[in-house]
Amino acid sequence: MFLRLVADSFGRRPRHKFLTGAALALGMAVATAALSVALDVGDRLAKEFRSLGANLLVTPQADSLPLEIGGVDYRPVNSGAYLPEADLGKLKTIFWHNNVIGFSPVLEVKVSSSTPRWSPASATFVRPAANGDAVLIGTWSNHPVALPDGGNFITGLQQTSPWWRVEGSWFEDGAGQCIVGKAFAERHGVIIGSPLYLSTSTSDGLSLKVTGIFTSGSSEDDAVVTSLSIVQQYIGKSGQYRKLYVSALTKPEDDFARRDPKTMKAKEFERWSCSPYVSSIAYSIKQVLPGAEVRVVRRVAEGEGAILTRVRMLLWLVTGAALLAAALAVGASSAASVIERRTEIGLMKALGAGSGTVGFLLAAEQLLLAFVGGGAGYALGIILARLLGEGIFGAAPEPSLIVFLVIIALATGVTLLGSAIPLRRASRYKPAPILRGE
Amino acid sequence: MATHRTSNRAMFWRIIRRLFGANPGRLFVMLLALGAGAAVTAALLNLEVDAKRRLTSEFRTFGANIIIAPPDSGHASGSATISETLLDRFPNQTSGSSIPRAAFLYAIAEVTAFSGEGKDSSRLGAAPAVIAGYRFLADDLKQVVPYQVIEGDNVVILDAETCEIGQKVASQFHLHVSGVLKLKAGETEHSCVISQIRGFGGAEDSQIFLPMKTVQHLAGLPQQVSLIQAVVPGGPAQIEHYLNDLRSRFPDADVRTVRQFTEGEARIYNRISGLLTATVAIVLVLTGLCVMAAMTNVAMERKNDVGLMKAIGGSVRRVLRLFLAEAALLGLAGGMIGGAVGIFLSIGLGKAVFGVAARPRLIVYPVAVALTIIVAILSAYPLRRLASIRPASVFRGEA
Repeated sequence: MFLRLVADSFGRRPRHKFLTGAALALGMAVATAALSVALDVGDRLAKEFRSLGANLLVTPQADSLPLEIGGVDYRPVNSGAYLPEADLGKLKTIFWHNNVIGFSPVLEVKVSSSTPRWSPASATFVRPAANGDAVLIGTWSNHPVALPDGGNFITGLQQTSPWWRVEGSWFEDGAGQCIVGKAFAERHGVIIGSPLYLSTSTSDGLSLKVTGIFTSGSSEDDAVVTSLSIVQQYIGKSGQYRKLYVSALTKPEDDFARRDPKTMKAKEFERWSCSPYVSSIAYSIKQVLPGAEVRVVRRVAEGEGAILTRVRMLLWLVTGAALLAAALAVGASSAASVIERRTEIGLMKALGAGSGTVGFLLAAEQLLLAFVGGGAGYALGIILARLLGEGIFGAAPEPSLIVFLVIIALATGVTLLGSAIPLRRASRYKPAPILRGE
Repeated sequence: MATHRTSNRAMFWRIIRRLFGANPGRLFVMLLALGAGAAVTAALLNLEVDAKRRLTSEFRTFGANIIIAPPDSGHASGSATISETLLDRFPNQTSGSSIPRAAFLYAIAEVTAFSGEGKDSSRLGAAPAVIAGYRFLADDLKQVVPYQVIEGDNVVILDAETCEIGQKVASQFHLHVSGVLKLKAGETEHSCVISQIRGFGGAEDSQIFLPMKTVQHLAGLPQQVSLIQAVVPGGPAQIEHYLNDLRSRFPDADVRTVRQFTEGEARIYNRISGLLTATVAIVLVLTGLCVMAAMTNVAMERKNDVGLMKAIGGSVRRVLRLFLAEAALLGLAGGMIGGAVGIFLSIGLGKAVFGVAARPRLIVYPVAVALTIIVAILSAYPLRRLASIRPASVFRGEA
């Protein structure tokens, strides 16, 4: 009988039920879309922030003080310490290996460069005297790193310095190719495809082919960039590097993250090292690279943290506002649907139904609506969140079970709460005046 | 005729009054739904306009995005200098705010480190190091070159020349705050007490920071600086505009953007503002539809009222006009209450997110009210379907 009454109510007033359900579904779709985006945005934006490049800098601990002005290290080649390149695969074995999205080791040396000029008289390239100081930077462009578990991880400058704009193409690893900075190219009249001779006071010349001209907007614009192995061989430091840039996905730092891990209790330390703060990633990198010092690039990390926190809060507030509005509108709709059914309630009571039975019947109807409407709203919301995510970040947020549960719970709560007040009043109705039309 | 029309109008408003008074529960529910919609509309519109502006200033936390360096000297940078007066000749931005900026002069000095000033202090070591003289026109050097204070927050050292050192210098010499450095460049000497240890995560970590005058004296380069860094707020277009202004003002210096940050910032800003706009748009559209569905549901319950009015001779158009007027009035009331609530809400929200109250934009208020009225009228519109209702069947309890 109970089920029949419920079914009858739906069958008799399909348009009303449909509209209440639609209000519910739309409200829950807003909530789902906003929630999915808010939950997902942190990760997506953290990835976007990697376009700012490396946020960790690794240098040898035992190094002498770098004499670096304007990107040029004025120390002689043989002073200072180096780190072994062979260890780099270990970076992808740390606890946060999935957060490490790229790294590139750097070895720099000051050289004199000369560009051969085409001599029409002799119809050959003529090699002039060395015509200027330059910095030769050895690094990776797109280099496969052998991982201890047997896999390969391809990384290099294209991940850690994504803002470099290269005209022509990047150099290939170990192929005797290089790219030159724009300022360097302009000064020396270097064009893509021309050969370049480099020499230092102590060692012989090195010949490279220019495959591209890059702009970085910093001191590298004055430099020549080639593959790490070439520079290693050239200065006799094979398998070694001096600086390592690491780009890692991080969680914005809060006050807890800024504490010194040495002063933490065991429990706190565990929590600290299990959050991908930039400082805890730095700590775990230091564990696998013996003799290295890992520093946080403050410029990148601080700005990123500040903006991520703000945007997250902003989206949570938008979500909160959306939830509130959806809840109020849906609650109002369910309240209205109960208010309008006074006659029906009076009739049921006149036929001997208790207040409890009437309330239960109406609540069951509302619950059914909540499930159907909530489910439909969730589906609609997920589609919208997908469209939003794909349009803006090129990747859709994963539908999550938590959001589904939250939405269903919200739909139930809101409909029940919305109908609770009118139901309480309905249970006090006296059937006779209602049936008399008073 | 005139009296007829007047009494007609009086009757019209009387019926409207009665419609409102008839069922306070329903009135409340309708106002609640419309008000909630209006509040969210007003709050989000206000917040969105404000948030985008705030975000651009939030990007200042990345520090300098413009560098002014000596013109290309034919040698790797570092040795050339430009005049210090450039630092003071920066134009203000069009919005009138001054640009946070700092000038640096780099030199190499022989550094001898001591653990302290007294007789019992020990010599910690000696090595060449980069000394950086700086002068800034900003609230804090941090604004231009972000760093973290590693040691010496809130330390004040009186009666002595002070200097700040990068973390790499500190670890190299095992120095702490109140350690002493003796610097020697050429024939000139200088000593200072360390007041702070700073972590930058870059070349600055191995530098010793001194007042500009001191380094100019040590390096023998009065009135000269190696480079100037500045933080220009605003979107990519504003930065570009300011950059061109600077280039024409300083023709004999190399003005360039820090591509790492200007490009990244532009990209991230576009993403964030796109995300915000899209989310707000979706929330607004869905909220509007949701409110509309709820309101239509309520309106459809008015069958009895329509039936009665038709039975006593009301034409369909007049009956419909009555209900549309009711809806518009409800929309107006709900919009005005909700809009006001929403604006106050956004002020609070802005304070929560950005620490500064969002400036209420008055244009948002009428927009929110107008949208609410439109939604209310649209949701009452399905009542025209009731035109086909036959009064008799309503009263018999059919249909």
